Amino acid sequence: MNRKNIWIHITIATVIITLAAVLGQIRRWENTLSNSSSGERAAAVQASGREMPGSVRDNTPEVSVRFRKGVTLSQIRQIAAANNDRLDDEVESVAGLVFIDDLDNADAESVAAQYAGMKDLVDYAEVNGKVELDDPADSFSTNDLLSRDSTSAQPDDPDFDQQYALSNTGQDGGKKGADIKALDAWQVTQGSDKVVVAVLDSGVDYEHVDLRSNMWMRPDELPAYSDDELGTFNDEFGYNGTDSLSDPMDDNGHGTHCSGIIGAEGNNGEGIAGINWHVSIMPLKFLGRGGFGTTADAIKAINYAIDRKKHGVNIRVINASWGSTQNSKALKDAIAAAGDAGILFVAAAGNNGTDNDKRAHYPSNYDLPNVISVAATDRNDTLASFSNYGLKSVHIAAPGRDIESTWLGNAYRDASGTSMAAPHVAGVAALILSVEPNLSVTELRKRILDSVDKLPALAGKVSSGGRLNAAKAVEK
Amino acid sequence: MRFTKESAVERAKQDLAKRLGIDESEIKADRAVDREFSDMSLGASAGGEIAAQMLVSGWQIILSAADSEYEYRADKHQLRLHNFKGSNYVIQY
Repeated sequence: MNRKNIWIHITIATVIITLAAVLGQIRRWENTLSNSSSGERAAAVQASGREMPGSVRDNTPEVSVRFRKGVTLSQIRQIAAANNDRLDDEVESVAGLVFIDDLDNADAESVAAQYAGMKDLVDYAEVNGKVELDDPADSFSTNDLLSRDSTSAQPDDPDFDQQYALSNTGQDGGKKGADIKALDAWQVTQGSDKVVVAVLDSGVDYEHVDLRSNMWMRPDELPAYSDDELGTFNDEFGYNGTDSLSDPMDDNGHGTHCSGIIGAEGNNGEGIAGINWHVSIMPLKFLGRGGFGTTADAIKAINYAIDRKKHGVNIRVINASWGSTQNSKALKDAIAAAGDAGILFVAAAGNNGTDNDKRAHYPSNYDLPNVISVAATDRNDTLASFSNYGLKSVHIAAPGRDIESTWLGNAYRDASGTSMAAPHVAGVAALILSVEPNLSVTELRKRILDSVDKLPALAGKVSSGGRLNAAKAVEK
Repeated sequence: MRFTKESAVERAKQDLAKRLGIDESEIKADRAVDREFSDMSLGASAGGEIAAQMLVSGWQIILSAADSEYEYRADKHQLRLHNFKGSNYVIQY
């Protein structure tokens, strides 16, 4: 491109930005006027002694905007400022993706539409989900692997006999052998603390007696995570996207339950055995106390994981035991970026008992090479009645009903859901990596899906036609 | 705050009264039954929120007023209004 053309392009871009800003501002003034009327109505209702529904507790940036290649952060700031908006955060792992907060009380749909209209500059813009109250008022050592003799593979954890998913002896009316063959897998490996599994969830009770030995801690040589827009995080024990000042202690229990399935310390005479007796669990907290959260916070947490991976933390798996029917291009891009960084993303298929090929569930439905979507089976190797399925969009099944695992306050409890199925797959992924640390994401995913036990109950329901088998998966 | 079935019904009635602009005495609690919900948003996610995919026990509360029925969902920690004019709402958590 010659210099003359460059100036023509810059001039056109400037005109477009200015025009878009002016038009957008006019639209927002209209909306503000409309909101003012609503405000007057609200004041009148309050004066009458009633309350207006819709009070909002929210600090979520309103829209995700992905700018096209070539638009610089400085230009994005200028565009945002011209629209009386604020750049809330840049998602460094996805080029051009930012969160924008508007400062003049426009509704999020208008803001997203305004940015989406800048077609020469913007790839897409979408409203972020919110949580609202609506109240009218590679250096592995063989030393990492434990003994392979058969007598040591049966752990001494006192509740192990309740873990039908790992070894089904027919207890509680189950079908003998309807399990993931953990005992056989443990003949090969019982895991390695060199493998980091990120649990993207409600946090983890990192002081739990059955988890604390297997928790990731930021190494002294790795600086605390710092983000240009969000500041420095307290990430000694992991990431808390709901509050950068706090650590990722679980205040719900769900993330702790998933973590126990992946890596409760095995053979320690306490509670249960995780699929990995030894592993490093990194909490990425974005779900709040109620067990629900926002897409924007999930993206920020994934961005954190990618950053830590690039700084040498061996994160190879993210477990995502959550979802919704909301499709987000920004979330998909963040997960794809995780794949580019060598991270497998294991997602729960959902609990509506429906076909994901017909009614999509996200993030499990994102058609990405690093995503595995997981359905749930029960103690009889049948598809759990609540589990979503999908011949094209759901890839594998794993035990997910009546799963015993760790809970808050050194407790244990049963829980059911595809939330419980996904960490079985994430755990087996980590187990494979403990003996084959250099597998690519593609190879890892293929290994897991090619090593299933094919079951009649799963034919036509999941693409692999089978239930997870840890023993076959760790065979080279 | 931790809900019981009874306190969830009372809170739901308060919410509906304000929402409809009527007196609580005009609202009838038709039933409040134990239910297992599909996820931690009680199968009633609001505003694009995403939820942990674990089954949770709670209560389905059906209220009626002016010949219409309204469904609330609650567990110990939260109360939601399901499918009110096509949308779900988080009332309290």
